[in-house]
Amino acid sequence: MKIKQEAIGDVYVVRLSGQLMGGPDADSVRETILSILNQGYKKILIDLKDVSWVNSTGLGILMSAHITATQNGGIVKLMRISRRIDSIFMVTRLNTVFQVFDKEEDAIASFEGDVTGQKN
Amino acid sequence: MTLPQCDFPADRSIVFQMPSRLELLVVVDQLVQAICHDMDFDRDDTDAIANSVIEAATNAVQHAHGHDVMRPVVFRFCLGDDELQIEVTDTGPGFDLEEVSALDPTGPEGILKSRGRGIFIMKAMMDRVDFDIQMGKGTRVCMAKSRRSAEAGDGS
Repeated sequence: MKIKQEAIGDVYVVRLSGQLMGGPDADSVRETILSILNQGYKKILIDLKDVSWVNSTGLGILMSAHITATQNGGIVKLMRISRRIDSIFMVTRLNTVFQVFDKEEDAIASFEGDVTGQKN
Repeated sequence: MTLPQCDFPADRSIVFQMPSRLELLVVVDQLVQAICHDMDFDRDDTDAIANSVIEAATNAVQHAHGHDVMRPVVFRFCLGDDELQIEVTDTGPGFDLEEVSALDPTGPEGILKSRGRGIFIMKAMMDRVDFDIQMGKGTRVCMAKSRRSAEAGDGS
């Protein structure tokens, strides 16, 4: 799995590609989220457009990111998940935990009302 | 370890073996996609089958074999007329299915946990999922899914 990052205003976008399936991926994503939070960014948007599939360990990685961000006053949202990944989200009801957006502009705009997501 | 095999004849079975390396799940996924395409499964069912096989393989690699690359995971696909049966076999220590299945990963307590969704996903996405667990010897997961058209009686 590859990770690219960019700040768009006060939203930090993390773009993942490949498959999210555990192993070294878990440490990479966790370290990325912590690094972003340590920089003072609280609004984190994970782009899954180029992730072809996620297994249960990958879901655990996303859940850990959510918990880490929440514990540090931040928020994690997701965007551009595939139909295949969406089916796993529906079955596991992670669609009730994460806000998921189809378009990047909608995702970024959605952070505006999130008080907890203000950059320090 | 000798485990019972499914009933399809050898000329309808595909057997695949891989070392316990998570990165090889990509190969497993591609094989499942090809088999499902050959059997005319639709996109949603193909995704469901692929997700389930990936989950079984993830459990074998991570939990049963502890990423020991010298311990192979064996896959057996039995291509029926209207149904695909899949066996995923490991040589791990086994586990307590009742204990693993006790916590609902979609409930208030389970949903925030980072683990415990694999078997739940398999059961939700396949028509049948059975576990043959021989403690200290290994586990065989047997799953099956029928084509939607077959379930509907092919329009008859």
